[in-house]
Amino acid sequence: MADPIAEAGTEDTAAILVVDDLQSSRLLIGSILQAAGFNNLTFAADGVEALEILERRVVDMVILDIVMPRKDGIQVCREARERLALAMPILIQTGLQDADHRATAFDAGASDIVSKPIHAHELVSRTRLHLERRRMIDSLQGYRRRMQDELKAAEAMQVSLLKSEREVAAIVGPRKARLTTFYKASNQLGGDLWQVFEIDATRFGIFMVDLSGHGVAAAINAFRVHMLAEDQVDYRSTPGAWLTSLNVGLCQILPVEHFATAFYGVVDIAGGCIQYAAAGAPPPLVLEKTGGWQALDHCGVILGCSEAACYETHSVPIAPGDRVFFYSDALYENFDEPEKSLEPADLVAHVRAVLETEAGPGFHEALVQRVFDSEAATRRDDLTLLLLEVAGDG
Amino acid sequence: MDYRSDVRDGRLVVSISGMLTFDDHEAFRRVVSEIADCQEAAVELSLATTKMIDSAGIGMLLLAKDKAAKSGKFLCLSGVKGHVAKVVELSKIDQLIPVE
Repeated sequence: MADPIAEAGTEDTAAILVVDDLQSSRLLIGSILQAAGFNNLTFAADGVEALEILERRVVDMVILDIVMPRKDGIQVCREARERLALAMPILIQTGLQDADHRATAFDAGASDIVSKPIHAHELVSRTRLHLERRRMIDSLQGYRRRMQDELKAAEAMQVSLLKSEREVAAIVGPRKARLTTFYKASNQLGGDLWQVFEIDATRFGIFMVDLSGHGVAAAINAFRVHMLAEDQVDYRSTPGAWLTSLNVGLCQILPVEHFATAFYGVVDIAGGCIQYAAAGAPPPLVLEKTGGWQALDHCGVILGCSEAACYETHSVPIAPGDRVFFYSDALYENFDEPEKSLEPADLVAHVRAVLETEAGPGFHEALVQRVFDSEAATRRDDLTLLLLEVAGDG
Repeated sequence: MDYRSDVRDGRLVVSISGMLTFDDHEAFRRVVSEIADCQEAAVELSLATTKMIDSAGIGMLLLAKDKAAKSGKFLCLSGVKGHVAKVVELSKIDQLIPVE
């Protein structure tokens, strides 16, 4: 890559295309640029030839005459921008001084104008200025692309922590339940995570956690929580003790302003109940087969702030045909219009309405479409949805 | 968010208005340094005009509490109502930071 601050006389390998129908002009511009250290020059004698070159090879900058046979400079400029979608600087040289004429050049996509007769110092200064600007834009775009690639890779890693449909079915199916899941990362990474654990022949655990904030820090914290939760095998069948112990671990690793909200439930269908503990996570909704519903008590000190925090184990009965819906705060929080944030009763109505037509794997997508007005709205924060269905009598 | 601070009855009162979310990290840093640098032994963070708070906003309150404690000051929240009250109730912030 060329040195971005090449001084006069030093070599600059930027590829410059000089387009002028007069050979004397091409020679003049060429010699001025060469004297200034630009020695990767290409020449074209008219617009058609110029476009052929632009289609064929990478050019860093174009110095373009307006009045030429076959195709004029304005047309070349327009085609380079529109048809070929090229973004390099185009410097138009013109002897015409009127403002309308110059405006036409800018409208066609010119980056700048130099007056004829060519003034050597002005031409070199403007050439340097535009090349430098272009290099800065390229470097910023490159940086941005790299960042986006990194974020995508991180998002993929985060998704890979989540159990596959088949793994979930292998745990949940033999224990008389069905669990469908949905996860969509926010556009800047986030800290949602869910896990399902085998406990014994009849019970399994469901853990849902949301790390505060979003971005890289929240994603890294989600990884740490994942590790802690996987390793913490003790107390898995007693949710209060499990969450209390997890909290101590998190207090040690999370910085002071970071914390997590979480829900951990032990599903015991044979025993007819879910035992659970919560730490400020949105309340899971139990939709009873008989038509009633309830939001589970979800208050609890957020995780990772106080080692003294203690979490109680609660219990809720479940019967065949009941459903339990778990969700992250992104589903109901409306930051633009807080008063329009959804309440549990609103969510129950939405879930029931969707279940009328989409009880299968399409449930989550259908619910998201029903609740959010736009694709963009779903990307503000991580969105996690889990629907647990207790197998019916038959 | 916007904030203003006054000293009332020997106590630094910082009023936070608008939304306290992830985007306010930089702005809230000034609040935190004001708390760390003030002469008063007690600080009241008034949320009476805070319209909405997200998880990052809660994190900022915890940070303010931590900075206050580290500089030997008492910090409490006040004016908790509406959406903010719901969030405080849900996450039991009152067990971490006193609420008046």
